[in-house]
Amino acid sequence: MHPILTQPWRLLQYVGAWTLFGVLLAAVLIVGNKLPIVWALEFSVPLAILLGFLALSCWYMTRVLPARETPWPRLISIWLGTGIVIIATWLYLSLLWAQLLLPEEEEALFIDLPIQISPLLVFAGAVALSIAIVSHYLVAAFERSRQAEKQALQSKVLAKEAELRSLRSQLDPHFLFNALNSVASLIGSDVTAARRMCYLMAGFFRQSVALGREESIPLAEEMRLVETFLAIEEVRFGDRLRKHFDVAEDTLKLTVPPLVLQPLVENAVHHGIAHLLEGGDVTVTARQINGLLELTVENPCDPDRPGSKGTGTGLHNVRARLETVYGHEARVDSTATPTRFRVSLLLPAIAAAPKEDGQNNANTNR
Amino acid sequence: MRTLIVDDESLARAYLVEQLGGVAGIEVVGQAANGVEAIKMVEQLTPDLMLLDIQMPKLTGFDVLDLLGEKAPAVIFITAYDEYAVKAFEVHAVDYLLKPVEATRLAAAVEHARGRLQDKAAKPQPSAQTLAAAARPPGRKLERVVIRNEGQVQVLPIDTIDYIQAQDDYLSFVVGKVKHRKQQTMSELEAQLDASRFVRVHRSFLLNIDRLAKLELYSKDSWLAVLKDGMQIPVSRSGYARIKELIQ
Repeated sequence: MHPILTQPWRLLQYVGAWTLFGVLLAAVLIVGNKLPIVWALEFSVPLAILLGFLALSCWYMTRVLPARETPWPRLISIWLGTGIVIIATWLYLSLLWAQLLLPEEEEALFIDLPIQISPLLVFAGAVALSIAIVSHYLVAAFERSRQAEKQALQSKVLAKEAELRSLRSQLDPHFLFNALNSVASLIGSDVTAARRMCYLMAGFFRQSVALGREESIPLAEEMRLVETFLAIEEVRFGDRLRKHFDVAEDTLKLTVPPLVLQPLVENAVHHGIAHLLEGGDVTVTARQINGLLELTVENPCDPDRPGSKGTGTGLHNVRARLETVYGHEARVDSTATPTRFRVSLLLPAIAAAPKEDGQNNANTNR
Repeated sequence: MRTLIVDDESLARAYLVEQLGGVAGIEVVGQAANGVEAIKMVEQLTPDLMLLDIQMPKLTGFDVLDLLGEKAPAVIFITAYDEYAVKAFEVHAVDYLLKPVEATRLAAAVEHARGRLQDKAAKPQPSAQTLAAAARPPGRKLERVVIRNEGQVQVLPIDTIDYIQAQDDYLSFVVGKVKHRKQQTMSELEAQLDASRFVRVHRSFLLNIDRLAKLELYSKDSWLAVLKDGMQIPVSRSGYARIKELIQ
């Protein structure tokens, strides 16, 4: 159903506009063809409104033939054909209407009237119809842009939510309290190491807050956050935690949403390494394949670990965030065997815009 | 008091040793880096007190306590952050400390433990299983059972168990042809299990419903459950009703 038919006020405005067109047409007939005023109005106003309703059928056509996606020749030929059919129908009905309106005794006087007014009717009808079609397209475009705006807003809201969630998970109480416990311990035995741990923690929180505000960051920055995180956990786990990075040089400048890799590495440590007596390797890889950036995080795990089913929230957050940012262009896969867990992310490889990078306080020097 | 420290992080152990240095009457007799070591050390060193971390690889602090059973010394639990465990400790009035451990709190907890050890009339501490069950997040059921077989610690994921049989004062966990014994009561275990997977089919049998192949009438009021591997276990009238209710 045409949207205008469901809104009485708009329909009234629409009919009003066409009535105006009818009055104009009548004026031309009065001035140009010397027709009586009453007759001219009687004749042209209903016809104008009729054309208005015929023009409404264009709405369906604008849906089927979106202006941008339809090739021009096709668009023009179809509209031309439609226009001819509509105008021809309208002209035929107009002439019938003229016959009907003519007083019988004056028929002879106006025998050539159809021939006189036909060109005018075709011309005026074609102009009015064209305006109607263009207006339909304009309305459609307007609605589309409003829809797009709404969608953009919605995805922004989702991204903000994801950011909040990820920041909250950043403040994982286990991580914080255990790190503080390590500091408390080191103060008694190795003051330098205790200080270094404080710097690492400050660096980690500073980086995650700063990165969390960005929409996208170079992979290099995310890797730096991951390294700081692992450096803190290494203090705690000692040689039980080993890390293995295989990051291709050409991926470092690609962009990623912030905090997509770090939660996965955190999972690898807390749900993988922490449950192994002998610990193990956390492996992080990054490479480019066919215009895609592939990131993987892999860790060994204990088949008997308790609560092995409850590790999904970090992964779930990452998946939801990638979906808001990239839609269907990103993929998250996880493979779990009893002794290993692996997550891979596939996202479009987009190069980061070059910018000055002098202001980074991140302290990951060791 | 002879004290054993159990924590998987060496820094955390070192910190506790340092802090305990300031507490009078404490002698640190050993440090264990995991649950298995802790069990061995308790048996060899017979400490009076154990400072026990909850989150450890392989065996949790609760598992350690569970496996030690009556041999367990007085315990002070330690955790970095575990809201459910803390709630459980509060409910059952068990001593616990939060990381980073404060020296004054440590001294107070040690004092409290000492008092409890000396007071024969003190309220007995809840069993490890009761504590572990209370510390589980809501909706979470028992996922594994820890067993000790001739010194060897074994972890049985709950879905590998075919059925559990009560015998005298212990339970037999049957996994295929192997039976694992554990000191525990049937009702205590049943309360922790997921009732949609394990059914009390008989006064002394809990059956993993996945293993059931068919039910055969045995006498007027009793049935036999035939398992997928051909094993047969008795089913009482109320057990039969429970199975029916579950598979319908």
